[in-house]
Amino acid sequence: MPIKETDLAVELIGITKYFPGTIANHDVYLKIKKGEVVALLGENGAGKSTLMKILYGMYQPDSGSIKVNGKDVKIRSPQDAMALGIGMIHQHFTLVPVHTVVENVLLGAGAEDKGRASVSEAVKEIERMGKAYDLEVDPFAFVRQLAVGMQQRVEILKALYRGAQTLIMDEPTAVLTPQNTERLFSFIRDFREAGHSVIFITHKLNEVLDIADRIVVLRSGNVVGELLRSEASERELAQMMVGREVADLSSEVKAQEKDVHKKESILRVENIKVKGDRGHWAVDSLSMNIDGGEIFGIAGVSGNGQEELAEALCGLRAVSEGQIILRDNSLVGKSVHDLIHEGIGYIPADRHREGLVLDMSVEENLILKRFSSSEFASRGVLSEKNIQLYAQKIIEDYAIKTPSSVTKAKALSGGNQQKIVIARELGIASSLLVAVQPTRGLDLGAADYVHRALLNVRNEGQAVLLISTELSEVLTLSDRIGVMYRGRILKVFRREEADIEEIGLLMVGVTHDET
Amino acid sequence: MKHNRRLWLSLFPLYSVFLGLALSGIMMLFLGQNPLVVYKELVIFAFRDIYNIADIFAKATPLILTGLAFGFAFRSTLFNIGAQGQFYIGCLAAVSCSLFFQVLPLPILLLICCVASMLAGGLWGSFVGYAKARFNANEFLLSMMSTYVAVAIMNYLIRGPLIETKGEYPQTDVIVENAWIPQLIPHTRLHWGFILALLVAFFAYFILWKTTLGFKIRAVGMNRDGARYAGINEKKVFVTVFFISGAFAGLAGFMEVNGIQHMLVQGFNPFIGAEGIGIAILGNAHPLGIVLSALLFGALKVGGNLVVQTSPIPSSIIGIMEGFVMLSVIVSYFIRERIIVASEKKRLREEERREESQ
Amino acid sequence: MILVGLLARAIQMSTPLMVGALAEVFVERTGVMNIAIEGIFLMGAWAGFVGTYLSGSLIVGFLSAAVVGLFVGSFYGILTVYLKQHQIVTGTAINILAPGLALYLYRVFFGVPLLPLTVEPLPVFAIPVLSHIPIIGEALFRQNIMTYAAFIFVGIGYWILFKTRTGLILRSTGANPEAVDAAGINVEKIRFKAVLFSSAMNGLAGAFYSIGFLGLFTEDIIGGRGWIAFAICFLGNWNPLGAMIGALVFGLADATSIAIQTSGFRLIPNEFLIAIPYILTIIATISRKQFNVPAFLGIPYIKERR
Repeated sequence: MPIKETDLAVELIGITKYFPGTIANHDVYLKIKKGEVVALLGENGAGKSTLMKILYGMYQPDSGSIKVNGKDVKIRSPQDAMALGIGMIHQHFTLVPVHTVVENVLLGAGAEDKGRASVSEAVKEIERMGKAYDLEVDPFAFVRQLAVGMQQRVEILKALYRGAQTLIMDEPTAVLTPQNTERLFSFIRDFREAGHSVIFITHKLNEVLDIADRIVVLRSGNVVGELLRSEASERELAQMMVGREVADLSSEVKAQEKDVHKKESILRVENIKVKGDRGHWAVDSLSMNIDGGEIFGIAGVSGNGQEELAEALCGLRAVSEGQIILRDNSLVGKSVHDLIHEGIGYIPADRHREGLVLDMSVEENLILKRFSSSEFASRGVLSEKNIQLYAQKIIEDYAIKTPSSVTKAKALSGGNQQKIVIARELGIASSLLVAVQPTRGLDLGAADYVHRALLNVRNEGQAVLLISTELSEVLTLSDRIGVMYRGRILKVFRREEADIEEIGLLMVGVTHDET
Repeated sequence: MKHNRRLWLSLFPLYSVFLGLALSGIMMLFLGQNPLVVYKELVIFAFRDIYNIADIFAKATPLILTGLAFGFAFRSTLFNIGAQGQFYIGCLAAVSCSLFFQVLPLPILLLICCVASMLAGGLWGSFVGYAKARFNANEFLLSMMSTYVAVAIMNYLIRGPLIETKGEYPQTDVIVENAWIPQLIPHTRLHWGFILALLVAFFAYFILWKTTLGFKIRAVGMNRDGARYAGINEKKVFVTVFFISGAFAGLAGFMEVNGIQHMLVQGFNPFIGAEGIGIAILGNAHPLGIVLSALLFGALKVGGNLVVQTSPIPSSIIGIMEGFVMLSVIVSYFIRERIIVASEKKRLREEERREESQ
Repeated sequence: MILVGLLARAIQMSTPLMVGALAEVFVERTGVMNIAIEGIFLMGAWAGFVGTYLSGSLIVGFLSAAVVGLFVGSFYGILTVYLKQHQIVTGTAINILAPGLALYLYRVFFGVPLLPLTVEPLPVFAIPVLSHIPIIGEALFRQNIMTYAAFIFVGIGYWILFKTRTGLILRSTGANPEAVDAAGINVEKIRFKAVLFSSAMNGLAGAFYSIGFLGLFTEDIIGGRGWIAFAICFLGNWNPLGAMIGALVFGLADATSIAIQTSGFRLIPNEFLIAIPYILTIIATISRKQFNVPAFLGIPYIKERR
């Protein structure tokens, strides 16, 4: 079916972009029709965000051109993009938390109203758009006080205020509950009905089939395939994303369960309360038990206390009330250092900030938590030989791809960096392993590796606590699933009993009694 | 090609020294002096005879220590701007001990003064470290202000309890010869303190890269959050680092009082702290680089002082040279990074072209 | 009578602190610390004196101070904003260079004078009517023109920062530069302009010491007061009004210590009186919790990153 040039909202022609160390986009061709929702699918690092940032003028391509409404254009800055009717909803919100909604919308308002901030006009416009698209929000609220779903509305309003006709959305559902995701999708459908276009960046296969008219798959900077929704299947899309057959882990997990012999209770958490950064109770009378040989998964929208719970378990945050007992030992009040010795491993959400010291070598990162133990140091002096031998063994055992053990960690790929963290934490976790968002930012291959590692720990008889906002990950791996909302666990399911709809409702606090 | 390029890149600090000196040379033109002549004279003077050459090392001695003071703390991403004050406190401790314990034999007296200067400087510095640990106060401002307070204390003591018996000038008596650090080369000003300074530099290197304490210090410096997650107590590190850093600067006080001046005069060596910062930056906060940079600054001072005496160029030219060298070093770091990134991009493009032609 | 004199002195001494602190508020709100503040104060003092001495006009002096401040600030700005170098390291380099440079250039211009050179500093300009209000009026409204300008500057600064779009952009740049970038505004240009502005102001503030107040130029005329202005920005919570209050407090401390010294009150040694402002800064730095610190203060904005 031939596409007339004027039917095209946007066209990207031969876009190529280099960054130090990688080729982010390679000769990419992309057409977006008016009144169309196109999904840009690919793993982390495939080049989707980069491509859209080029369209939005935040990056400049090294070669290639762009057409908007059939005309050749040069987009040198977001202001150019916005003037052409292209708006972007970023993955990490570009909002100023300490300012109000109006202030944030006005910031993106553009050079038309320099000088005086026409607050009252903006407020009226915000209210009008809010009603028209079901995106209502209090214009004078401070952004940092808004829930994540509401913050996203502000991001969208910012773009609409500037007259966006083509919206680029970068992983918009990463922080949303299933219900909020549905609301976002219905906005997208309304927007499309009005004749506008949406470019939807994601790595989630199931959503793509829900919302997209057409799906474009990127891999390592190249376009590897293009399908209409009617032609696509999850399996086929996954294969295109990765380039090979993708194993389905869930059947393996079920098969392994028979071999695991469960030990008695390893971790008992009783009514603990933990204070959050804003002085509120992030964890509010939470209780749970984890046995040896089981993976306990916590599902929930981020911001309901999961991070604070994990921090409390590894000693980074104080427990104000309640008790945590690990194999008959009370953990409350113990330091991070003590808890490492108690055998608690911790795979953090942000491996760059929390899990590794990027400027240190691979071997230094491997001993990061045990450098003062007698194995690696005597009387305060480090034993370089022992450290090197240990590191070489680990590198071999875990197949960590690195030129040497003294290479700086920042030179390794994301997957190999996570391997360092995993290798280290598995060595420490003789009782309990806490894993928070362990596959964030990893490609499918590396994520698979992490999942298998977690299963191994479980099979060896330790207890595993998995905290993740990726519901599919929690559902696949966990033996039992707890849904966390506002600092407490509302209900615990066994894997067989898990019902997605009920879990989704619990994630926003709707319990059975209320329905 | 790659190997040659790496060698070329690692010599960047040297280029910046030349650039800095060149800029200072331009300033000399304003006074109608030919910079080439001036620099020639500077080098000739500096290496004219044993006395001057030895003087280079003598001048470098306290600079090594104040450079280590800033550099050591910098490894933990802490900014100790108070080395000047810690130096003065160390001076006070050294001169006080020299005066009070003057009856003791030389080895014991020197040992006491040495240890006292380190403890005093260390304690003075650890106040800042403690404030940082306990109150998360801005150590940059605190250490800066602590210098002014140290100056006040020193001036008070020198004009009061410690004043010379004559009571004329704001300075102490000359200390007994028992308290003089022995000369390394006779008939020069170079004393054994230089060797001690080298040992301290090695000690700093050893701590940072070969001990568990140094591991903690560097981890906190490179990624504070990561260090916390690893169970490292950053508060203890702050206090320890500032103590050690202050001790280094305090030891510089012992060097100057017992090694060179043999007394304490108000307002002497007022830039030694700031110069230490410059030296640490030039030496990339590494003990070896710091030693080399200190020697460079020492040579600039010795040669520069003689040039100043024999030409219309004022002594402030030395400060100008130091400052311009520092700025050039900063610019050179940037240029070096740019070159590395650009060559990476080029390499990628060439690799891609090769793949396509296959 | 003594009280009036003390208050008047306090207000006079707070003027440069106010200007410097306010300038620092503006630039730190965009996320850049102007660490070269002490050095620029000194260069401003030098330029002001040289300009006034050579031209006989105070206006030329202050203008030169601002221009020199701008000039030095441009180096700092290029190195830290565009070349992304470390702010503390770069600022320290300038602060080390400044005394040597100022002294050297003073020598270049004037050689070695037998007697210290002086100029007539800013005259006091009493505002009619208001200056007759007892105590407060006499202290506040018998100042020189720069002091009045400083107070007006505080008011304008507050209005710009909180009531205009320019101020919104400035504040957003320090709070979340990515948000500003995504709105299509050039973060680096904003920061660089802020550095230039604050440096020009710092030059003026420094000149106040040489040609506004003392009438001469010496090596240690600034004596760490640039740093106090820097601290006041912190302690005033990055708010122009807070900066004004902080400056007045420190001006009072300065004036009090001088008053005690000259009065011959011997209980507290002179040396410690001189140290009062610095001790005050220490106490304030420890006890103040910074609520408004711009989230991205001190962090260079790197645009094209993965």
